[in-house]
Amino acid sequence: MSLTLDRMRGDIAKLIYLDPEDIGDDDNLADLGLDSMRLMSPVLQWEQGGLKADFGTFAEFYTLGEWWRAVERIQSRTAIAQP
Amino acid sequence: MTTQRPVESAARPLTEAQEGLWFFQALDPSNPILNTGQYLDLTGPLNVAALMSAADQALAQAGALRLQFRQGLSGARQWLAPEPPRLAVVDLSDEADPETEARRRMRADSDRPLDLARDPLAAFALYRLGADRHFLYERIHHLAIDGYGMVLVTNRIGELYSARVTGRMPSDPFPPLDRALEEDAEWRASAKRAAARDYWLGALSGLPEVTGPAPGRAVSGHSFHRESRWLPADLTARLADVAQGTGLMWPDVLTALASAYVARWTVGEAVTGVPFMARMGSKAARVPCMAMNVLPFRCAPDEDAPLAEWLTSAAKALMQGRRHGRYRSEQMRRDLGLIGGARRLYGPLVNVQPFDVAPAFAGLDVRLNILGAGAVDDLTLTFRGDPERGILFEVDSNPALYSPEDARGHADRLPAFLAAALAAKRLAEVPTASPAETAAITRASDATRHTLPDTSLWALLETEMRRSPEAVAITSGDKWLSYADLDFASAALAAQLSRMGAGRDRLVAVALERSADLPVALVAALRAGAAYLPLDPEHPPERLARILAMADPVAVLTSPDLAHLFPADAPLLLTPDWADEGEAPATPPAPGDLAYVIYTSGSTGEPKGVAIEHRAIVNRLLWMRDHYRIDVSDRILQKTPATFDVSVWEFFLPLIAGARLVMAPPGAHRDPSRIARLIRDEGITTLHFVPSMLSAFLAAPQARGLSPRRVFCSGEELTADQRDRFHRTLTAELHNLYGPTEAAVDVSYWPATPDDRSNPLPIGFPVWNTRLEVLDAAMRPVPPGLPGSLYLGGIQLARGYLGRPDLTADRFVSDPARPGERLYATGDLARLRHDGAVVYLGRSDHQVKIRGLRIELGEIESAIMASGLVREAVVLAREDHAGEKRLVGYVVPGAGYEAGVLAQRLASALPAYMVPSAMVALDAMPVTANGKLDRKALPAPVFAAAGRAAEGPTERMLARLYAEVLALAEPAPAEADFFALGGDSLSAVRLIQRIAAETGHDPGLGTVFENPVLAALAEALDQGATDDGLSTAILLAEGDRARAPLFLIHPAGGLAWGYRGLARAIAPVRTVWGLQNPGIDPDREMPDSLRKLAALYVDEVARIAPEGAVHLAGWSVGGILAQEVAVQLAARGRKVGLVALLDSYPADCWRTEAEPDPVMALRALLAIAGLDPDGHPELDSRAKVVAFLRRTDTALGALPERVLDAVIRTVTATNRMIRGHWHRPMPGTLTHIRAGLYHAASDLDAGMWQPWADGLDQLEVPFLHAQMTGPAAVRLIAPALADRMGE
Repeated sequence: MSLTLDRMRGDIAKLIYLDPEDIGDDDNLADLGLDSMRLMSPVLQWEQGGLKADFGTFAEFYTLGEWWRAVERIQSRTAIAQP
Repeated sequence: MTTQRPVESAARPLTEAQEGLWFFQALDPSNPILNTGQYLDLTGPLNVAALMSAADQALAQAGALRLQFRQGLSGARQWLAPEPPRLAVVDLSDEADPETEARRRMRADSDRPLDLARDPLAAFALYRLGADRHFLYERIHHLAIDGYGMVLVTNRIGELYSARVTGRMPSDPFPPLDRALEEDAEWRASAKRAAARDYWLGALSGLPEVTGPAPGRAVSGHSFHRESRWLPADLTARLADVAQGTGLMWPDVLTALASAYVARWTVGEAVTGVPFMARMGSKAARVPCMAMNVLPFRCAPDEDAPLAEWLTSAAKALMQGRRHGRYRSEQMRRDLGLIGGARRLYGPLVNVQPFDVAPAFAGLDVRLNILGAGAVDDLTLTFRGDPERGILFEVDSNPALYSPEDARGHADRLPAFLAAALAAKRLAEVPTASPAETAAITRASDATRHTLPDTSLWALLETEMRRSPEAVAITSGDKWLSYADLDFASAALAAQLSRMGAGRDRLVAVALERSADLPVALVAALRAGAAYLPLDPEHPPERLARILAMADPVAVLTSPDLAHLFPADAPLLLTPDWADEGEAPATPPAPGDLAYVIYTSGSTGEPKGVAIEHRAIVNRLLWMRDHYRIDVSDRILQKTPATFDVSVWEFFLPLIAGARLVMAPPGAHRDPSRIARLIRDEGITTLHFVPSMLSAFLAAPQARGLSPRRVFCSGEELTADQRDRFHRTLTAELHNLYGPTEAAVDVSYWPATPDDRSNPLPIGFPVWNTRLEVLDAAMRPVPPGLPGSLYLGGIQLARGYLGRPDLTADRFVSDPARPGERLYATGDLARLRHDGAVVYLGRSDHQVKIRGLRIELGEIESAIMASGLVREAVVLAREDHAGEKRLVGYVVPGAGYEAGVLAQRLASALPAYMVPSAMVALDAMPVTANGKLDRKALPAPVFAAAGRAAEGPTERMLARLYAEVLALAEPAPAEADFFALGGDSLSAVRLIQRIAAETGHDPGLGTVFENPVLAALAEALDQGATDDGLSTAILLAEGDRARAPLFLIHPAGGLAWGYRGLARAIAPVRTVWGLQNPGIDPDREMPDSLRKLAALYVDEVARIAPEGAVHLAGWSVGGILAQEVAVQLAARGRKVGLVALLDSYPADCWRTEAEPDPVMALRALLAIAGLDPDGHPELDSRAKVVAFLRRTDTALGALPERVLDAVIRTVTATNRMIRGHWHRPMPGTLTHIRAGLYHAASDLDAGMWQPWADGLDQLEVPFLHAQMTGPAAVRLIAPALADRMGE
């Protein structure tokens, strides 16, 4: 599975009872009500879906834009590595 | 690997997160519990070279793994060693059992305490168990890394391994460790930290005293006990559903419910500790380091609220906490002033770790095993995994607080609680006990079922009468009755009673002194089909009249000399008027008819009549006969008043077994020596004691060596001390029975065998067809260990209270688990042991609230008893000043009792709010007419609490120290007298140690002895007084200087400190001085003869009291000296009043004894310290004796070495002086007090003093020589001395 930015936006939005449109790429997600506890379940889901990131990746930065950049990097690496 | 010498500039301070752990480790550097560790169990084809390379790369990238720590000049420092750890590879495949060997090595490594400055804090090893099986072991000290950091490192190794093996690219390496340090510095200075502080101060205001499920101090030991359980799949699925349905996160739901479970064990309000990663939005989120925090979660659930509602509010609180979660819990403790071991911020930990799952290693099956995750103070409840992949539940417990069975209990029970809670609408529906426990309890209850003939007590008696008419049934003094005689007499009287109206459910009152008539009367009443109602002739007539009015008996059987006690219209049938022949009525009782009615005191003041039916008492008696194998050879003593239901089995057990009932003469039940004589003369095999009376009996010399078959105790708590004393004194079985009058005498039993080590002694297991149910407030069975209310069920329950259906309905309730059956609410508190035995905890009205805290007085009493220092203990909550409740303990001291030592033990066993404010020592507990404890007669303690508060720095310091050393509830006032408030020599030594620690100046023991009142001591300190308490004359107690002073002369060691108790008992009528041997001061010379030593004392006396009379006394050596001092004073023309010798004998007795060797002199020290040298043959060297004295907390043990040396030389020198001494006669009377208990050399006699005094006054007290200055002996000796000191 390949995670998309929209997918991430949608999953997060559900958790904090917002519309996906209301979450900008540069909004600080903590300010919007996302805490570490709530973050855990989508991260676990994304991990189970095949994403090779860990919780720490998402803990370090707190905007959707930065998360997406990190995920992109990881996914492209994974793609290159496929034999 | 080389380690360079660390350069100061490369060292950095610790982060806030590390500081808390550093402090913990510094308290006990030998504690390895912070070596957190885990291992991966790798199955499959492992590419070892790839793993080594991956591991080394990962380890090199994690800077924290190179950390070292030490204490610097201005705080702890950390720096990085130059080399990272490398993976060690160990091949164990040739071992017989490679797996066990690997575990052993991992355990050994984890258990090894680290030198944090020199040893690497991280170790990694790969153990090869076989071609396809490896353990990858990781151990990292918690100061370097937390749980999430460990996950980062482990996952990295897996990732790098998989990358090498599959060609996949790994993710970004870790950011550098410096980020963590920078972040910490930013945080410390940030506004967010200040805001977090404000939040927590608000959230934690009014925090209750925090406890956990187990009583006792929660301090982590070096190890923990672990129980692991996988949560069932349906439970985790339900957890996920509930989370979904409520919109909450499943970890929060789990944390809340686990905390609610803990709250069930802490009276409804718990504070659990919730570990928090503290990495959200942090630059250091991906840095392996120590960042985690523990957040307190206050959980006092409203169990009646809808579950979803409560869960949501709990989750909100958790979320709020996380918002401010970087604020350190150690800092919160400091902010709240919770410093000092017993004050806790949180109790058990609830740790939900979704990330603790095995990392992926390409091509391998991986299992993760966590070895240790840090300190375990109390319980740590960990949940690893998530609902999809499965959750492993681990209970880590502190072995000092929880037995393995306790831990297993929680491990099995919590999942059941979670399952039930997730399916419930409200928490109130959820039992604390698991279904398995409830089922086991029900099974155990049902197992007491025992088929019995449905018959009456009369029928059983009749059977015996027919079977052995010639056998002796009853004896009373010289009189005896055979079964045939009993048959005849009871038939006649029954007929007469029948004519008077006796029959079904009618009562026949019986008020008789003990004699053969009494049992005849009871049997006759039963035979007539009536119930008997015993009345106590010692009760006030008014009470008797009230009872007769309520009970309306058809007859009152009594004797002429008692007739006046009854109202004129009472239907008396006096003994001379009893029919002596007649045919028994043909109306025998049916099993459901009343057998007896006994009145007990009601809490509202009116007595209530407990009505017991035949089948109830038949069950009880047949059980007893069968269980204890009572047979025709038994002789059972009847001594308990008939108004106490114990008497019921005393009367009838022999008569239903063909045995002999032996009536004790009236009044004999209160006299231990008479009871002992009866046991001997009558060959008693079976008898009963109320525990208070048992204590008195065991103290009587005549009790020694008796051997009845069995002794039963009931009516109050039987203590472990009483059990042990019993088996030292008698040879017999001892059985503890329990039961209220409302359940046919007794419902449970416990064999208190010589091997039984239970403390407290349980009330044990139920008798036949009886249930003991320990229930919570919702009437559900409680799990083992949790206190509950004791309810009784089964065939022995009374019909009710005569004529009081309201009271009956109040106490006899429907059994919610068994429709149609009743339970009796005892009002007692109890808990179950793991073996199913029931332990009595006290009355539920001994549950008190002090400052909002709920306290079971029974729990404090147990702690006092468990110290082993006292014989008996009772704790009251007294309100001597309006609105101010204080806990006061009353104790009967045992061997080795010292108030200071007990206070210390309690302070370490109980939470601060449960330690009594005062401890009152008594000779014996006051008892009522029935021999039970009389709480109302316990005296109010004397608090020197009146007077002005301490002022000024010195007084305030002392006020605090007095409170600390004496365990007072608040700082002492200025007029507080150290010794009056319970201080003794030992606590005085502690006080000066604390003064020296705080002021840098040691004022010396003598200064405290001379100035025990706080204000005076403060002044003495301000003047720089030093008095080491070794002067020749010390002031022991201040008194009226107009009266002649008393001088107490030292015993063998040369110190007069041990006379403190005696001195204070004599003062304040007169002043009491102690005279001490100059030899105890290492810098002074000793005289070479006893005469010269005495002359020295005479000079002191003359200096202190230049004119007027003086009194003298001395124990042991001091007595010999007293006699010589008296001779010399008289020669100088001084008037000597009392000359008292406490168990001293003339020098002539000792002259032929060999000079004691140094070891004997040392062992004499034990005796001086109040210990019995014969009890310690192993102490045969100076080092051993001194170590023992120090360990057992004696004042001697606290002396500096050179003083101890001086004491030892004084013992030897004085001994030599005595052997060289020749007495001269003294004028006046010599008063001799002999230690009467087991006088070792029994030819020592007071008469030996005859030639050396004009007159001899001989007294004796029942104590050992070594006990003569102890508190118990002082209570007898002080008045005797006081009486003999005229002026």
